[in-house]
Amino acid sequence: MITGKSTEVAEALQNPPSAAMHDWTAQLEAVACRHDRDSFMRIYDHFAPRVRRYLLGLGVGGALAEELTQEALLRVWQRAQQYDPGRSNPETWIFRIARNLHLDRVRREPAWRMAQEYLDDLDGAVDGQWPPGTESYAEEAIIHQAIQQLPGIQARVIRMSYFEAKSQQAIASELGVSLGTVKSHLRHAFLKLQAELTCKR
Amino acid sequence: MQAVNPRHHLGEATLLSYAAGALPAALAIVATTHSSMCMACRRQLRMAERIGGGLIALQHEAAPPAGAREAMLARLDACASSAAPALGSFEDAAAVGPDTLPVPLHPYFGRSLAGLPWRWMAAGMQGIRAGIGEGTLLMLRVAPGEGIPMHGHHGSEFTCVLQGAYDDEFGRFSAGDLAELGTDDRHRPVMASDMPCICIVGLDGDLHCEGCSPQALQPLFVA
Repeated sequence: MITGKSTEVAEALQNPPSAAMHDWTAQLEAVACRHDRDSFMRIYDHFAPRVRRYLLGLGVGGALAEELTQEALLRVWQRAQQYDPGRSNPETWIFRIARNLHLDRVRREPAWRMAQEYLDDLDGAVDGQWPPGTESYAEEAIIHQAIQQLPGIQARVIRMSYFEAKSQQAIASELGVSLGTVKSHLRHAFLKLQAELTCKR
Repeated sequence: MQAVNPRHHLGEATLLSYAAGALPAALAIVATTHSSMCMACRRQLRMAERIGGGLIALQHEAAPPAGAREAMLARLDACASSAAPALGSFEDAAAVGPDTLPVPLHPYFGRSLAGLPWRWMAAGMQGIRAGIGEGTLLMLRVAPGEGIPMHGHHGSEFTCVLQGAYDDEFGRFSAGDLAELGTDDRHRPVMASDMPCICIVGLDGDLHCEGCSPQALQPLFVA
């Protein structure tokens, strides 16, 4: 097992100190309850550049990436009332919106979004993995730190999965390793991140 | 379908690829079908999505093109209210009957097992192939006591049992259970229930046969 910390991730990712100070849940609540445009634009200013980078990284062309970024943030504006802090933190909610838009519009898998909404629907509103009162920004800080501490190869297969939407087979071919090796790296990364989150919450 | 209590679940690597939107479509549809019957896997998927949230938050920013912020504000004006568009209800779609298919399969096979256009594939085996862009999605109905010849896979095979059960080298698979098989896994499923065993199978590569002619599995690929 490779145990070195990932310089690759450290280079490719940054940890904006201001991000941890913002309580995005509160901003989303202000949008949901009062249609607060200032709160929304704070969310926009922080997340739109990241959603844009995510889409560009997936190979979406500039104009379409901008259109989908706006659409993703527009959904945040329109659906803030449906955001449930017991189920996901704000950054995860926004990630899901962007991911689902990409699968729907770019990969053209129209049934995906319906299926995700159905899975969401199954557990009702109170099946949060996190006890009520867990501050979302504290949880976010834990996961950010855990991601940055992943061993290099695990960080690499994670990035290729999430940021390039590469299948395990495609990752195996690109890295010149077996499919089993890729699965093993992904598995260890998942278990490690899960352990960090369940120990420190 | 009946209430189920799955004992075979999505593997950790699959959870990550699924949450990343990186699982080939045929496999993702089978994984979604299992998750719709498995609360444990839905919870695990939320964990995997948190990783996606963390990754996107840690991304470098991509600078907006000129006028992007103004364009966003204009779109807020255009939809004056932030009232959420009503989400469709799934109550109708999920109305449970003995023949109701899991909701994630409705776009591909319709709502009910009744009246499906089964095609003969081999002795004791019928199937229906769904049109998807990437990989192969197949519903199989195998008569009690029948078996499928020993085979391996170039790529992955995901199987979710919808009704009945089968045994193979990896155990007993009953309704709701998910089997993930990779390149090195060969198996010979034998049906283990009194009723026909109905499964949804996703493949992102070819099958290859061992000790039988490739033609024996050929019907699986003929649309």
